[in-house]
Amino acid sequence: MTTITLNQLGKTFGDQVALHNIDLEFPSGSFVVLLGPSGCGKTTTLRMLAGLEEPSRGTIRFGDRIVANGDTGASVPAEKRGLGMVFQSYALWPHMSVRTNIEWPLRVAGWSAAERTSRLDEVLRMLDIVALADRYPAEISGGQQQRVAIARTIASRPQVLLFDEPLSNLDARLRVETRAELAQVHRATGGTSVYVTHDQVEALALATHIAVMRDGRVEQFGPPEELLDHPATAFVASFLGTPPNVLLAGEVQDGALVRNGVRLSEASDSGRMLHAMYRPQDVGLSSDGILDFDVVECTPLAGRYVVSGFTGGDRVSVVTDSFVAAGTATRLVLPHTPEAVFGADGARTHR
Amino acid sequence: MGLRRPVTWLALAVLALLVVLVALPLQALVSVTLRPDGIGSWADVLASPLSPNLLWQPLGNSLVVGLGTGLIASILGAFLAWVVVMSDMPGRRIIGMLATIPFALPSFAIALAWESIFRNERLGGNPGLLASFGIAVPDILSWGVVPVTLTLVAHYYSLSFVVVAAALANVGGDLLAAAQLTGASRLRVASRIVLPVVAPAILSGFLLAFAEGISNFAVPALLGLPVRFQTLSTRLYGSIATGDTERGYVLSIILVVIAALVLFTGNRLTKGRSFATISGKSSPPRRVDTGGWKWLLLALSATLVTATTIVPGIVLAVSTLLRRTNSFDAGLTLHYWLGGSDPSIAQGMRGVLRDPIVIDAIGSTISLGLSVGLGATIVGLLAAYVVGRMKRSRVIGGSISLLSYVPFLIPGIAFGAAFIAQFGAPIGPFPALYGTFTILVIAGIAASLPFAFQTSRSALGQISPDLEEAAVISGAGTARRLGRIVLPLASRGILGGGILVFVTMVRDLSLVVLLVTPATPLLSVMTYRYASEGFTQSANAITLMIAVVSVAATLIARRLQGATQPWSTK
Repeated sequence: MTTITLNQLGKTFGDQVALHNIDLEFPSGSFVVLLGPSGCGKTTTLRMLAGLEEPSRGTIRFGDRIVANGDTGASVPAEKRGLGMVFQSYALWPHMSVRTNIEWPLRVAGWSAAERTSRLDEVLRMLDIVALADRYPAEISGGQQQRVAIARTIASRPQVLLFDEPLSNLDARLRVETRAELAQVHRATGGTSVYVTHDQVEALALATHIAVMRDGRVEQFGPPEELLDHPATAFVASFLGTPPNVLLAGEVQDGALVRNGVRLSEASDSGRMLHAMYRPQDVGLSSDGILDFDVVECTPLAGRYVVSGFTGGDRVSVVTDSFVAAGTATRLVLPHTPEAVFGADGARTHR
Repeated sequence: MGLRRPVTWLALAVLALLVVLVALPLQALVSVTLRPDGIGSWADVLASPLSPNLLWQPLGNSLVVGLGTGLIASILGAFLAWVVVMSDMPGRRIIGMLATIPFALPSFAIALAWESIFRNERLGGNPGLLASFGIAVPDILSWGVVPVTLTLVAHYYSLSFVVVAAALANVGGDLLAAAQLTGASRLRVASRIVLPVVAPAILSGFLLAFAEGISNFAVPALLGLPVRFQTLSTRLYGSIATGDTERGYVLSIILVVIAALVLFTGNRLTKGRSFATISGKSSPPRRVDTGGWKWLLLALSATLVTATTIVPGIVLAVSTLLRRTNSFDAGLTLHYWLGGSDPSIAQGMRGVLRDPIVIDAIGSTISLGLSVGLGATIVGLLAAYVVGRMKRSRVIGGSISLLSYVPFLIPGIAFGAAFIAQFGAPIGPFPALYGTFTILVIAGIAASLPFAFQTSRSALGQISPDLEEAAVISGAGTARRLGRIVLPLASRGILGGGILVFVTMVRDLSLVVLLVTPATPLLSVMTYRYASEGFTQSANAITLMIAVVSVAATLIARRLQGATQPWSTK
């Protein structure tokens, strides 16, 4: 059982800061997703966990053991950290058969032939790829390659599993299937998993904990429900959810938050810029509303409709019960008070 | 840069080796001409009553030949590339295949074939086939600038074709379809889309052919020298061969500077302007419907490729079977291949396969090719590996890259001169290497380095870092990773590169012509000597052997490197 602790972990490439000193603790057995747009530092963090990059500052601990220390330069080599990694490209060795791909790391680790054979059978069966054992990576489909990569990773029973956007090369249907399988693999190994993606749907489906990252910083870390119910920043609020929350910017004038001359809610401190957050399902559409809204598209979702459009230059999505044709000009009906309010710096101000 | 890391020591060793192989000879070439007894040769060459003869006329000839070669080769190569990649001409595949062969032939093969056909009676000796049929061949077709240029074109259009065809194949059907859908005319699509995309390729093909045209030795030596048509290369060869060493070195330096300038600007101009790396799957281009013109295109391109591959091959083969040189009058014979010594034929020369000197030369040529192929591959691989591993240490990595690239800028004959300047005299405890097999191997390795280094770099670069990282995580150490992951994956590319080095060495004349002595006979040099002395059949027979080995080995190497012709996919 392995708790992973990042303490003041930072990484710079030349004079480029990839990761500002971050603090995170992943509980033992958790499935942590590092979520964020490209360039947010999530892959750098993962590669430092793997031992493929050295931190510039701070420490990484697996359990009680410090595996990397950017301040002293000490580092436990990747293979001594007891981890496995699934690469975006799968990184199957093209000149080795499926069997050899899975078996070779065990041979390197010094397993006996009998142990290797029985473990090989076990993971081949677990991932349902027994029939592929003697084929070469180029001879099997992308989805099958992915299963082989997973089998290879878990064969040595690592206590920490790392995933670098493992689903991004698969087509949509296969992605959903493989996702379920990854969750199963995680439960079966009982280890701690860290998973990098930019896809929030994937993150919400898999994670016990999500760290939303942006520009080398962690915006929020916690269980998915907490991030959805209680986003700590405007960025998290706008990044998570299908559709994501409605965020409307405005300025405080005379004790109220005002957007384009329309009063949204009460607020204090005149002159401040604020973002008001509403749940998409709480916002209605009607010509009696208070903000102009031009419908751009209307997508059916689980018996209801997600209607996207522009209000005063901002794109927002709301959920309605009936179909609204694209091109319709209507108005937004907002609840009396916003679900949350964020300051100009993006941080939550109250509630 | 940690001195404790083994890779640092390896890097320093590679660097030291490169200094000996590349930097020292070039430095020696210059410093010999700066010694008190050598400095006068600069004035002799640049400003004296001798200079028109020594420098200016040969330089002018070199430039004319280079420019002609570059222009004609680019036009023919680009035309052929367009026809093969973009048009609906029948027989594209076979034409495309044949068009790659001339570059695999030694350049003197086509020159000798030319001579066997077009040689006239001006110099006495045996005229060519045309003359023996009673057709008068004008001097301009027999000797000098026209045959030299055309022969070089026959060699280098092939290079231009390969470069441009690859670029055209990368244009991708989607890119063209997108342009055509805008309603642009075919001409407009060609001039605004296709041409800009392949322009860097055409330019780099032109500059390579230009630089080679300036500095080629074999062709002007065979088709120009007999009528005193001198180029810089033949001039500096003549100077050094007749003991006028310092002047020869000065001419070498001038040749190096000119060729290096051309190639270096070429690299600069085309750097970062290659649009050829369009990622993702792209659909093959829709072929241009050329209607009835396709038969004209076929006739033109078939003539071009057969005239530069099959025809010279047949001419060389047939000429070795003619009892009387380049004439059918006296009938056919196998004497020049298999015959014993007969005083009535060719001054008693034996057939090439029974001549102990030729047998000896076959042996030393093959062992030279193997030694250089092996040596250059090892040095190139080590250099590529340390450069890849030492990204943080710019000074060492940069120096290794630079020294591995420099020989690319240096014409073979001038490089040969530099090796005489450096290793011709004893250095400390080391004996003079001139006339030994060793100097040939060293010079060959040095000259082949740029190619071997690039091949290894790209072979290593094709291995995604993920594959090595996955092995790192499994706990495989450096040696195990190299042995089990990196080398197996790179081996085909590296082996293919080694074979191509072998080929260039086997057919090379310009690098070795100054370095060989009768003690170290090589096939290419024997060909040159026999051809100069009028033993046409023997020269052609040896050339044919070299050509067969070259083409076969080149095809094998391409196979190994997986260079499927990108332009011939369905």
